[in-house]
Amino acid sequence: MSLLNDLFAKPLEPGYEEVAARERAAGVDTSAAGRRRFSPILIVGAAALGLLLTIAALQVQNNAAVVSSERQGLIDRIRAEDERVSRLQDNVESLESEISGLEASLLENSAAGRQLRAEVEQLQARAGSIAVTGPGVVITIDDADPESFDNPELAAVQDIDLQQVVNGLWAAGAEAISINGQRITSLTAIRQVDNIVKINYRPTQSPFEVTAIGDTRSLPSEFGDGPGGQWLRHFDLQFDVRSEESLEIPAGNTSLLHAQPGEAR
Amino acid sequence: MIPLLGLVLGVLAGFIFDVSVPLELQPYLPIAIVAALDAVFGGVRAVMEGIFNDKVFVVSFIANVLIAAFIVFLGDQLGVGSQLSTAVIVVLGIRIFTNVATIRRHVFHA
Repeated sequence: MSLLNDLFAKPLEPGYEEVAARERAAGVDTSAAGRRRFSPILIVGAAALGLLLTIAALQVQNNAAVVSSERQGLIDRIRAEDERVSRLQDNVESLESEISGLEASLLENSAAGRQLRAEVEQLQARAGSIAVTGPGVVITIDDADPESFDNPELAAVQDIDLQQVVNGLWAAGAEAISINGQRITSLTAIRQVDNIVKINYRPTQSPFEVTAIGDTRSLPSEFGDGPGGQWLRHFDLQFDVRSEESLEIPAGNTSLLHAQPGEAR
Repeated sequence: MIPLLGLVLGVLAGFIFDVSVPLELQPYLPIAIVAALDAVFGGVRAVMEGIFNDKVFVVSFIANVLIAAFIVFLGDQLGVGSQLSTAVIVVLGIRIFTNVATIRRHVFHA
């Protein structure tokens, strides 16, 4: 600790003392030379210090402004891109409904065509590319009480919770599922980016309304006793299951770009 | 009092001439300021004790600023820039604090 002791004991530049001692030894009258109350050099030094201080302070302010404007720019870009994705997805949906309309008008003309059309609609309903209606349940899931968690972030509904609920609903006999209006198709991903749950790559937030079409007598109890209900209860998430006689589940996007039907030839 | 006038002059000059520091030198600016602060307070204290010397002041001012900047530069090259900056700030901070305390005693006799 001698270094720190030294620092505290003699903080003055030792040079001043040494020069003073040398002058005393040489017999110079230090009281006359040293008693100067100010020196131009000291003023210049102080001015340099002030200049440096101001430059540094201005620089820091400028940098802060640049950083915040960059941040705002990034936020704006994210918003714009999000909007673009929504627009494009709406576009895809309208084009798909146009395609199915054209298919329907083409197949309407013959008996075989009508049968084919019914078959196609069945398959589309299964895949999730057309809207379906029927009886079923609506499950509303909300965040848990944050005060019962050490980390309040854990109280929010996570992607894994919704994955478990969807899985539990399939297991309980659901035939079509949507979450907050997003159809769960064969291509759906439920994932989380920075506490935002994204379904079909669109952000959504709690409370989550999970709509499932299925048998209204067995679906609620089998969901409640099955893995989905157990999962929700285990994590203290608030949820409420109610049966409805008529529900509509919208179409989702199931277009395939790379997968070709049929086996490899 | 007079060195204070110099300080104000410097600040005004900084506002009038809008000097911008090159990006490569920016990390060294705060350390250079702390070093300059140490030299100036050391000089003021020497004046109060009647042993001020122009040559010692100029040499200590320039050497302090350069050495402090060099230590930070070296630290940056070795990947411990922030730690070495902290070391410089601690050492110079203690000196500044003690020097200012001594000046205060000289001025207020308390």
